[in-house]
Amino acid sequence: MLAMNKIKILGITAISIAASILVTSCRDKRSTGWEYAPNMYRHIAYDPDQANPNFADGKTAQVPPKGTIPVGFTRFDFPNDRGGYDSASVVAKNPLPANKKNFEDGKVLYEHFCSPCHGKTGQGDGLVVSHGYPAPPSYSKGQSSRGGAMKDLTDGKIYHTITYGVNAMGSYASQLSPQERWKVVAYVHHLQTL
Amino acid sequence: MRNISLLFKQFSRTVLLLAGLTALTTAANAQGDPAKGETIFKAKCTACHKIESKLVGPALGPQITSETDDAYLIKWIQNSQALVAAKNPKAVKIYNEYNQIPMTAFPELSDADVTDIIAYARAEQKKLTEGGGDKKTEAPAETGPSSLLIWGLIGVIVIAFIVILVLNKVIGTLERLLLKNKNLVIDEEPEVEGEPVDRLAGIKKLAKNKKLVFFVVLCGAIAMGSWSWVTMWNTNMHQGYQPVQPIKYSHELHAGAMKIDCQYCHSGAYKSKNASIPSLNVCMNCHKVVKTESPEIHKIYDALGYDPDKGTYDTTKAKPIQWVRIHNLPDFAYFNHSQHVVVGGVKCQQCHGPIETMSEVYQYSPLTMKWCIQCHKRTEVNFKGNAYYDKMTQVHDMIKKGQKVSAAVMGGLECSKCHY
Repeated sequence: MLAMNKIKILGITAISIAASILVTSCRDKRSTGWEYAPNMYRHIAYDPDQANPNFADGKTAQVPPKGTIPVGFTRFDFPNDRGGYDSASVVAKNPLPANKKNFEDGKVLYEHFCSPCHGKTGQGDGLVVSHGYPAPPSYSKGQSSRGGAMKDLTDGKIYHTITYGVNAMGSYASQLSPQERWKVVAYVHHLQTL
Repeated sequence: MRNISLLFKQFSRTVLLLAGLTALTTAANAQGDPAKGETIFKAKCTACHKIESKLVGPALGPQITSETDDAYLIKWIQNSQALVAAKNPKAVKIYNEYNQIPMTAFPELSDADVTDIIAYARAEQKKLTEGGGDKKTEAPAETGPSSLLIWGLIGVIVIAFIVILVLNKVIGTLERLLLKNKNLVIDEEPEVEGEPVDRLAGIKKLAKNKKLVFFVVLCGAIAMGSWSWVTMWNTNMHQGYQPVQPIKYSHELHAGAMKIDCQYCHSGAYKSKNASIPSLNVCMNCHKVVKTESPEIHKIYDALGYDPDKGTYDTTKAKPIQWVRIHNLPDFAYFNHSQHVVVGGVKCQQCHGPIETMSEVYQYSPLTMKWCIQCHKRTEVNFKGNAYYDKMTQVHDMIKKGQKVSAAVMGGLECSKCHY
């Protein structure tokens, strides 16, 4: 009798453990699961990406008022047209010193923001291009759509293009700060020599 | 450049036959080679033009098909500004229509090259107008057989099941008949009545066994206890949470296959507390040009009030996309992305898991306090070449030299120490 019981008891414990694991592991991935005191987790303060009924457009992340500039921000007073492009070419010069730190930073920024299309070596052969995006011209061998060779692009012309975009390329002003843009400009000058 | 042209050649091989055939049979006024034209088109024109819709310049399919004067087209493509300067009425009209954005001059293209491009554009437009009709007629035909197949299969399975059931019954009755014939009929009825009585008696016997009852209750208690223990540990923990997002954005495609760096979209992770969900202008960097036909991309267009045919934005129609937040820390825990990514040099994947393989993002880490503390205990801090810790090492050197260390030296005068 006792021998029989032992087997039964072992069996029952095994089944109950398996069942408890099953019950707890079968969680619905579309739900957050059980919550205790959720008011401590869903906070009252608004996060930047959250909806916000206090603003007319319902967003927490508001566009700064017109004409305001952040602290430490350098303005780029060349309009987004051919005239602005040409005058930026003559007037705008890279304010950052050409040192190793800036070059390395520029390389990382270039690889993160530009290389998907322009390619690691600036030949216009990035992975996005191989997936069907129209190829940009090579920095060292291509021709600019606004005349001249790509390898002759000046500081101001490259900066103008990053800021406003051109043709199929969009503006990178929201992703790169002015400082970062100048670092990228310095690295693009290196790619023009390849 | 050679690489690109090779790629285009590979792609063009597949299109070559169709394009060639349509061009031969239809386009009487274009003697160019559409296959050659395609190669040139993809190398020179795609940055500003698409065949079917407007980009920077007009949609080339309808534009070139409607324009029958090839000599004018060749002149325009080689040097449009010369035509505008010469006050050609057609040229001036389209120049003004497109906000006086000059088209790049292509003096390197010969007349034959331009004829090839024109032939390609006309062939593509022809395919588009014909293809549009084909698609509509093909669509139901494509879904027709597949649903028929499924229903057919289900029907076959159901019929097979019924046949098996019937056969089973027949076999049973036949066996009984055989047994009857042999006079070996087993009286099933008395046994059926006897069984439940026996079972109940067995259970009653077992219930009287105190040891067994004790063990059953103990096992039940252990099972319930372990279940509630695990459940309590998992309460408020969202690991594995994978909500349905408003747009089916795939990290597997963008970050995995195309290897676009995380920072491209989540640029806030390097600069601020919040890693930031990219604003839609970041999507539009690429999707103004590619995948413009996808219904998922059209959700972006709708949210921006963007008209892909005209290429214009109507901000009055814009409405933000409401992404569902996956990773959420309670308000009493402060977490800063830039501190971890820039100062600590932590890879995104350490906390977010193999994000580049997720076609749909889920919460990889538990984000519990235990999990945070575990990493903070194990991670060795890299002081060398890390500007964030310069002041700290400087203060330590001062202490070693026996100098006076004030709060100001340790950054105590920073505004945000008090005004946060």
